[in-house]
Amino acid sequence: MNRVLTCLFWLAIALVLTFITLPLAVVVAASLSPSSAVTFLPWEWTTVWYGDLLADRWLQPFLLSVKIATVVAGISGVLGVLAAYAVVYERIPGSTAIMAGLLSPLSVPQIVKGVAIVLFLSIIGLQSVLGTPALIAAHVVLALPFVTRMAATSLANFDGNLDRAAQSLGATKRQRLQHIVLPMIKPGVLSGVTFAFIISFNNIPLSVFLVRPGDTTLPIAVINYLEYSLDPVMAAVNVASMIFILAVIFLFEKIGGFSAQLHGGSK
Amino acid sequence: MNSFDIELVSVSKSFAGIPVVQDLNLQIPRGEFVSILGPSGCGKTTTLNMIAGFNTPSAGDVRVRGKSQNRIPPERRNLGLVFQNYALFPHMTVAENVGFGLRMRGTPKAEIGEAVDAALRSVRLDGFGSRYPKALSGGQQQRVALARAIAPRPSVLLLDEPLSNLDLKLREAMRVELKEIQEQLDMTFVYVTHDQEEAMAMSDRIVVMWQGAIAQQGEPGSIYRNPATRFVADFVGRSNILSVRRSIPGSEYFELCIDGTQIVLRSDCAGNSAVQSCCIRPESISLLNVSDAGTGPQNRLDGVVRRIVNLGAHVELLVEVANGLSLTVLVPSSRSSLVPELASTVTLGIDPQDVQVLSD
Repeated sequence: MNRVLTCLFWLAIALVLTFITLPLAVVVAASLSPSSAVTFLPWEWTTVWYGDLLADRWLQPFLLSVKIATVVAGISGVLGVLAAYAVVYERIPGSTAIMAGLLSPLSVPQIVKGVAIVLFLSIIGLQSVLGTPALIAAHVVLALPFVTRMAATSLANFDGNLDRAAQSLGATKRQRLQHIVLPMIKPGVLSGVTFAFIISFNNIPLSVFLVRPGDTTLPIAVINYLEYSLDPVMAAVNVASMIFILAVIFLFEKIGGFSAQLHGGSK
Repeated sequence: MNSFDIELVSVSKSFAGIPVVQDLNLQIPRGEFVSILGPSGCGKTTTLNMIAGFNTPSAGDVRVRGKSQNRIPPERRNLGLVFQNYALFPHMTVAENVGFGLRMRGTPKAEIGEAVDAALRSVRLDGFGSRYPKALSGGQQQRVALARAIAPRPSVLLLDEPLSNLDLKLREAMRVELKEIQEQLDMTFVYVTHDQEEAMAMSDRIVVMWQGAIAQQGEPGSIYRNPATRFVADFVGRSNILSVRRSIPGSEYFELCIDGTQIVLRSDCAGNSAVQSCCIRPESISLLNVSDAGTGPQNRLDGVVRRIVNLGAHVELLVEVANGLSLTVLVPSSRSSLVPELASTVTLGIDPQDVQVLSD
């Protein structure tokens, strides 16, 4: 009986993992297909399509996406930590309302938000910011709830006795923030910043309204390309951006993300 | 210049209108090990937090070395603090933890190194400097916390139930060690605990707190021998507490008529006619042989043994001396020949000096 249950358990896990990874495997396989039609399980392999990725057509959108995602991660990281600090650590009046306001973008569909931003910009006569500035602002609004939430949770779990211990040892407020509070919430904040980067890098529904023709982000370039052709280059672009995202996650992990949170620095 | 490290002058504290500490007056001389002892909710931790500066008194004055502290934030009070949950900084090594206080003050690196080594030596953790707190046992972590608190040489060390998270054997070993460290550093220790054995073992003076006020203070021995109130007698050590119906001053002794019985106990405590209860420690009651008749202690009571509990070092007897009145008696196991049978009749002897009158 027990063995049957164990078998079912592992079977369930295998099914879930297959369900998650199979589509990715299809894309990887398609990107390696020698024929220009997209096929799954080709019998011959080639990496020739990856050579196309260095063409301006893909490189420019990729660089723009990285630039925007980096700025968005930075801005929402700083703002998220400041917001969480005010709400959780200082407990300023109206904390609950402020937190609810900060998290509210999560409840509005992105398409609606995109339309709203475009309309708003044209009403106040600021169409000129469309493109990179508008993309950065919109992505920050989108990513901020995640960073704030992660930073707030880390701060809420922070043991107040550590702060009191530092205080009794003569540490001023600035010193306590620098040496105790920030290092303690760093893993949570880095996780939030990683999310912010990925959210910005992958975004389509908001970006589609805000990009300027001829100066698009990578996901929008992919959408535009897909309208006319579906070929292995497409698959190669997707595989490359997938690898890039994994590399970003790995990098943040190294700096001290989730695993540091689990092991608490006792390396 | 007075010689008190800490003075609390008519200090009161209430939270949301509920009084937690009421009109507390306390003076702690330099170099003393003082325990604030009391059950949870008696206001002892609030008192400690007011000394440390984390709570502001609603009324009254906290003074450190004669200087009022009411407007001084915790970080400028120069007091060391040790917590029950250690509160070590997990992202720093042991040496960085211990050196933290000096580092925040901008002490030169070389000096910090020496101070860290000295502090770790005094808690017998030399060589542990490069480890992280998580790699240490509970007892070691608490010693690091102690080293961290004493490294900047504070005027006073405040300890908030620091041994409560440790297991019994370690707790007993740490008691001795803490006392030794305190004597060696000649530093004033204020130690908050609910554990009366702990307070007894280490303190020069015990302050028993109850309901936000001081119930009694004094040397551990005198608190144990002469508890002033019913609460102290009950909380510190074990005791038989008897209600007194009437007390009559005699020529040599006070005679206490025990409520609900015909028993009259003689006490040489200076009581008065308003005495309402008295206390007898279980170990001060002796079992008398028939041959002792006429000699020995003044108070003699006959009773029946109702229960025998073996406690290892002692045997505890519950002896019914009157209808509805039983006394707990402790007999050392080494004298097991004295232990009577269940339901047998025994004679108890109580010296008048062991009958303490209590106020309420």
